[in-house]
Amino acid sequence: MARLFINCRQAHWLLSRQRDTPLRWYERLALRIHLRACDWCSIVERNFALLSRAARRLDR
Amino acid sequence: MGETSKALEIAELRPTLLRVARLQLRNETWAEDAVSETLLAAMEGLAAFDGRSQIRTWVIGILKHKIIDQFRRRSREVSIESQQELADGDALEDLFNNTGHRVTAPLEWGDPEATMSRGEFFAILQACIDQLPAPLGRIFLLREWLEFDTSEICKEMMVTSTNCFVMLYRARLRLRECLDTNWFAGEGAPHHG
Repeated sequence: MARLFINCRQAHWLLSRQRDTPLRWYERLALRIHLRACDWCSIVERNFALLSRAARRLDR
Repeated sequence: MGETSKALEIAELRPTLLRVARLQLRNETWAEDAVSETLLAAMEGLAAFDGRSQIRTWVIGILKHKIIDQFRRRSREVSIESQQELADGDALEDLFNNTGHRVTAPLEWGDPEATMSRGEFFAILQACIDQLPAPLGRIFLLREWLEFDTSEICKEMMVTSTNCFVMLYRARLRLRECLDTNWFAGEGAPHHG
């Protein structure tokens, strides 16, 4: 059975992977549960989003 | 604008194109080749340029294709480097304790638009990308700058999809840490109220 309670390392991995491919339903659920409880991983999620946006503007 | 002035405008883009190509390819010769081929293609295609976009945008679009061509030519070398890079993941383990939780708080980066309105931010980001191991820098730019699908990236770099995701993960984490240290924790960082 898939684990619904994950640690920060696993959350960071899913935060990166979701930017490249759709996560499975239980991965999305585990990530949402973790992010509700973990401010630090929520910050990393926003950091990754800014990183992507900034990379798209590198040649401007 | 006449063809001569357009040609001059294209020629003046060379330093910008070279900077972008170096950043992507991490190899002076490959970068020079990609830029030369780009300038040649742009000059030859000038008559067909419809003016619907800026010349700069059009030429950078050509450069992206030339960079992809270089990746294809060098894919075997990239693949070997990629395998080496996959064995090097220890530095990132320091971010987490033995239960897998973060050891230190990441910095909140604030308003994205305010951050990206500062030119120095992009200089730091570029320096951080330059510090990445070459395969990680390439794969990050293929994904985030050239906006390739991961399936295309895997094919270009001759790595499995799992390895692709691992490399992108390592690139993002390293860049996040680098920006935390060199931009957001430093004097260049915007002040948050």
